[in-house]
Amino acid sequence: MVGMGAMIGAGIFVLTGLAADAAGPAAVLVFALNGAVTAFTALSYAELAAAIPESGGGYAYVKEVFSEATSFLMGWMLWFAYMIAGALYAVGFGSNFATFLGMVGIDVPESVSVVGVTVPVGATALALLVVVVFVALNALSTSASGGAETAVTLVKIAILVVFAAFGAFAVETSNFSPLFEGSALSLLPAMGLTFIAFEGYDLIATVTEEVKDPEETIPKAIFYSLAATVAIYIGVVAVAVGTVGADQLGRAGETAIASAAASFMPTIPGLGIGGGTLIAFGAVFSTMSALNAVVLASSRVAFAMGRQGQLPGGVERIHPEFGTPLRAVLVSAAVVLVAVVAVPIRQIGNLSSLFFLLSFVVVNGSVIRLRRRRPNLSRPYELPFYPIPPVLGIVLNLLLGLFIDPIIWGMGVAWLALGGGVYLLLARGD
Amino acid sequence: MRVIVVGGGRVGLETAATLDEQGHSVVVVERDPDRCAAIGSEYVATVIEGDGTDPAILSQADLDRADVVAALTGDQSTNLAVCLLADRLADVRTLLRVTGAAGAEAFEDVVDEVVYPERVGAMAAVNGIATEAVRALEEVTGALAVLEIEVAADAPVAGRTLADVSLPHGTLVVSDATGDRVADTDTELTPGETYLVAAESDVTEEVRQLFRG
Repeated sequence: MVGMGAMIGAGIFVLTGLAADAAGPAAVLVFALNGAVTAFTALSYAELAAAIPESGGGYAYVKEVFSEATSFLMGWMLWFAYMIAGALYAVGFGSNFATFLGMVGIDVPESVSVVGVTVPVGATALALLVVVVFVALNALSTSASGGAETAVTLVKIAILVVFAAFGAFAVETSNFSPLFEGSALSLLPAMGLTFIAFEGYDLIATVTEEVKDPEETIPKAIFYSLAATVAIYIGVVAVAVGTVGADQLGRAGETAIASAAASFMPTIPGLGIGGGTLIAFGAVFSTMSALNAVVLASSRVAFAMGRQGQLPGGVERIHPEFGTPLRAVLVSAAVVLVAVVAVPIRQIGNLSSLFFLLSFVVVNGSVIRLRRRRPNLSRPYELPFYPIPPVLGIVLNLLLGLFIDPIIWGMGVAWLALGGGVYLLLARGD
Repeated sequence: MRVIVVGGGRVGLETAATLDEQGHSVVVVERDPDRCAAIGSEYVATVIEGDGTDPAILSQADLDRADVVAALTGDQSTNLAVCLLADRLADVRTLLRVTGAAGAEAFEDVVDEVVYPERVGAMAAVNGIATEAVRALEEVTGALAVLEIEVAADAPVAGRTLADVSLPHGTLVVSDATGDRVADTDTELTPGETYLVAAESDVTEEVRQLFRG
């Protein structure tokens, strides 16, 4: 449920506006096609996760299959991708929470002008606050994060279903024509942008420890969450576009779903608040739980890397009193906080998507390499039609990567170069 | 630590599960496909299906990165072949499961560690059968036994401190009655209480008489 928890909800609340802005009404197709592309990678994850009983997700598998340097870069990418996703969710939380407060009658000053530059003070402050709270929870206790995840996920799904059900009656089909703004190719950059919404496979794989009968349960967990996620995404985006139109969604940015809901949800009897407020609450709630999941995931990756001697500074140390990898959590948190303040949301989404795309390429590559080098490995789940799915996974993920902004590639390459430097320094230290 | 367990029978699987619980990374090499599926279901180790004495199979277990190779099949010759092969192919510690006590010492020069699981199992069974107040905790290699002994009311040492009693050479009382502290000369051997005592095998009977009367 953790993987689905991270995929469903936050991604859709935060990214719908961005997708609508980039692709117009075809945003619906963007999520559907991304689902199709990730399905190939999902097969690869299922095969690897069922055969290799290690928690730590993609990093753990790559560590099994590739050289030290490759596994380092994989961990380095995933670690960053999770942290950046954390920043995205924090920003999404901040603006949605400000909207929510506005709906229940508390005004947050949206922005102030500093030397001619508009700074969204209220929302950013809220974003930073929520990061601090969840880092503190993750730093102080290992159990704070895991337990309620199933319930939280069900609540998120329920809220989205309510949204889609009510909205379905308010959909005006005219909002879907023309489906494409410009050429159909404009879908591709939007797909790259919203790819982050499908990071959950890695999370599922990151937390699979106490599993019995992995040959059944792991593929099921991965495929069901993919199917459910895609279905819910398509329903919600279709309703959002159909009710308020892509232009308005695009303008609303990371609060798109909440503002769409405000346009058609009836007032809840007895409470005297609009149904839109409920959806805004859902957005707040979802971004919060997704933030929690990625803070956990990023610190786990850092911790796993530290254990292999691939990160310096004692991130592999478990704090004696709290029983958590405190340093790993704190280091991750610092990066998230910086990203919240310093990087615009679109860049954040793009950068994280780029790294997830690249890491999915490596995961697909792992399947192929493992099949070649260890033909006798017992694979409780074997993906069908090998080698077509992993090869398609690699090609399609790279294709989407090509449509990501060169500036983002620049930032990505810079981070990888920094990683290369760290790796060489550590190697020399040995 | 990264451990390769060759042989996924009862001993091999139990070993893999325990290592996994302790946070180690385990690869099991097993010949029988059904057995491989069963081990896969436990989700404690990566499984390589094949004969561990075949270099092509053993190297698929990623021998270069392994710290230890434990040959735990029910066949001693197979285990020896695995250990020798692993030693030849990579720089790893080797552990050999023997199937009989006779001549087991001779292998200690060839491999790094020798285990005889049936012996440990027998010890546990004897402990379960024995109702008397002396229990061997675990078989320790060499001649040393670690015993849990309850002091009998009429025993020679009952009610005296360790300074006052003279235990045979080769005996060490490890912990006091509460089990919280390491014993010292002031520790009193109270009747009815249980003590942890290490003794060399030639004096265990004497120790038993001193504590039990």
